[in-house]
Amino acid sequence: MDRFLGWVTKLVLVFLYVPIVAVVVYSFNASPRTSSWEGLSLRWYVELFGDGPLLKTLQTSLIVGIFAAGLATAIGFLSALALTRYRFKGRAFFLGAIVLPLIIPEIVLGVALLTVFGSSGIKLGVVTLVLGHLIVALPLTTLIMMGSLSSLDPSLPEAATDLGCTPWQTFTRVLFPLTRSAMLASFLLSFTTSFSNIVISTFTSGVGTTTMPLRIYSMLKTGITPEINALGALLILLTLVIIFAVGLQQMRRILVGAEEKDQAPDAAPDTISLQTATTER
Amino acid sequence: MTSSTQTAMPDSLMADSRAGQGETPAVRLTGITKTFGDNMVVQPLDLDIRQNEFFSILGPSGCGKTTLMRMITGFETPTDGSIELAGSSVDGLPTRKRDLNMLFQSYALFPHLTVFENVAFELRVRREPKKDITRRVQDALDLVRLGDLGERKTDQLSGGQRQRVALARAVVSRPAVVLLDEPLGALDQQLRKEMQIELKRMQRDVGITFIYVTHDQEEALSMSDRIAVMWKGRLLQIGSPQEIYDAPATEFVASFIGSCNIIPAISAGPGNAPTVAGIGEVPAVEVGAAEPVGSHVSVAVRPERMSVSASAPATGWSTTGTLTEAVYLGHEWRYGIRLGSDAHVFTTVPSTQLGPELGALRTGDSIFVSWAEKDARVLAE
Repeated sequence: MDRFLGWVTKLVLVFLYVPIVAVVVYSFNASPRTSSWEGLSLRWYVELFGDGPLLKTLQTSLIVGIFAAGLATAIGFLSALALTRYRFKGRAFFLGAIVLPLIIPEIVLGVALLTVFGSSGIKLGVVTLVLGHLIVALPLTTLIMMGSLSSLDPSLPEAATDLGCTPWQTFTRVLFPLTRSAMLASFLLSFTTSFSNIVISTFTSGVGTTTMPLRIYSMLKTGITPEINALGALLILLTLVIIFAVGLQQMRRILVGAEEKDQAPDAAPDTISLQTATTER
Repeated sequence: MTSSTQTAMPDSLMADSRAGQGETPAVRLTGITKTFGDNMVVQPLDLDIRQNEFFSILGPSGCGKTTLMRMITGFETPTDGSIELAGSSVDGLPTRKRDLNMLFQSYALFPHLTVFENVAFELRVRREPKKDITRRVQDALDLVRLGDLGERKTDQLSGGQRQRVALARAVVSRPAVVLLDEPLGALDQQLRKEMQIELKRMQRDVGITFIYVTHDQEEALSMSDRIAVMWKGRLLQIGSPQEIYDAPATEFVASFIGSCNIIPAISAGPGNAPTVAGIGEVPAVEVGAAEPVGSHVSVAVRPERMSVSASAPATGWSTTGTLTEAVYLGHEWRYGIRLGSDAHVFTTVPSTQLGPELGALRTGDSIFVSWAEKDARVLAE
C-alpha cells in the first residue's frame, strides 16, 4: 500500500511539473513549430526581445498587476480590520458583498463591467483593467487579511493607543509588522490573479492596453511560436527569483498562512489559557 | 457635587466617594453613566480616587467594572458625566493623551518585539531622548526583577514573567494612574499569591495610583487601600478592606465579601431590635437610613462572630437552634444550625476551642447561639 501511494505521489509530481519543464526545454528549441525538436538555439529569446508589441503587453500586464494588487491589499486590509475588530450592523452583508465575486462566474462580471463602463462613458484602458481585476482580487486579500488579523490579540491595538500611538503609528508599529507576511501573501496572490486573468481583461481592456495573456491567446489564431515558450521560461525564472528573494522560510509561512503557529509551541504552558480569557462588558 | 441621589449607597457612606477638601484626586468621576442600547451598564455614579492609593473596583462579572475602567482609559465614551484626571477634565481627550496606562488581562505584549522593546515602546513613541530610554527601561525591568531578560522574545517567557513585563511597560513612563484589568486571572494559585504581594510592593515603590479591577474578593482585601464594591452598574459601598468586611452596607456586599449569615427579619424602627420569626427580638445595629417599621430586612452576622455552646451562656442574649450538621475541617468545625422558623445559619469553631460538651452534641440536638449587638447588622434587602 505504501509503495502504491509512493508511486501515486511521484505521478502527481510528474504531472505537476512536466509542463513547466517542457516550457523551459522547448524555449531552447530551434524549430519554428512547438511540436518537433530540432536542436538547441537561443533564437526565440532574440525574437522575444525584438517583439515590441508583445513586450508592450507585458508592460501593461505588469502595471495593471502592481496597481490592482496594491489596491486590493490595502482595501482588503482595511475591510478585514473592520470585519474582525468591530461588530457593526450589516457586518455579515458587507462580508458577503466582498466575497461574492468569488462565486460569480467571471464572464458575468466581465459583461456587467463592460455595461457599466460603457454606459457611464469611462474610456477602457489601464484604469478599467485595474478596477476589473480589483473585483476578483479583493475577496482573496480580504480573506487572507481576516485570517491574519483574527489571530491577533484584540487588545494589541488598544495597548498601542494606550502607550501613545496615533492610529497611523498603531498601524506602522504594531499592525503592519504583525501582518507583514499576510500582506505579502495578499499582494503576490492578487498580482498573480491579475497577471494571468483573461476573462475580465477581455471586457475591460481598451485599444493599446491589451494585456499579455490576451495577446498570447490571440496568437493562437495566427499560430503560436516558441517565442511564447521563451517568455514562459523567463516568467518562471522571475517567479523563482521572487521566491528566493522573499526567502524560502517566509514563503513557507505565507503558503501555510499561519505566522502565529510557529510561535505557539515555544510558549510557556500557562500562557495558553490567555487565549480563552474573556473580556467582560 | 451633585447626582449622588441615584446611587444605592446610604448618604452616610457616600461621603467616602469624595476626597477631603484641598486634595486633588487622581481620578474624579462625576455622574458617569454608560448605556449600551437599552442596557444601562453603569448607573450614574460619583467617585474620587486618591493620589497614590491602591484602589480596587470589586464586583462579579457583568457588574460594569470593566466598562467603568474603559471609560477612564478612554476606550469607551461615557453616555453622560465627566472624568477628571489630576484636576483637569479629560472628556473628549483620546486615550493616547491621557496620563495613564493600562495593564491588560491578556497582557497584550507585542509579539514581534523583545522584552526590552516592549517596555521601551511608549518612550520611543513619545520620542524621549535615546540615552534616557536605555536607562529608564532597565530601571523598569529591575523593578519587576527581570533585569537580565531584556533580549528575550515575549513568547519565551512564563505567564508570571509576561505579566511582569506588562507591568514594567505600564509604569516605565511614570504615568499618574495605572489601571489593572484582572491581571492575575491567568496565573495559577501559587503565583497569584506571590504576585499579590509583589504588586502591592511595586505600587508602593513607584508611588503611582493603581486602579485594580477584579472579581476576586481575596485579592481586593489583601492589596487595596480602599475598595469599591460594584453590582449591577452601581457602587454599593466604598471603604477600606476592614470597613467593607466589618461593616457591609448592603446584603450583597455582606455576602459577596467573605461569607455571611443572612437572617430574614422584620424591622421595628430605629433604635429597636428587629424581630426574627420564631425567635423574637435579636440584637443588631441599624446602619444607614432606618427602614420603616414592619418592613422586611436582613440581619447579617459573620460566621466567626457567632458563638455556640451546649448550655445557655451565663450572661447576655442567646437563643436556641437545632444542630443540622457538624463537619470537621481539620483546623475548625463547621456547624449548620436551624434558627427560628425559617433561618439557616452556619458558624465555625476552631478545633482547639471545642469543649467536651459541644463535642458531644449530635445532629438534631438543641444548641445555644449568641452574638454581640455590634457584630450583627440590619441591612435592607
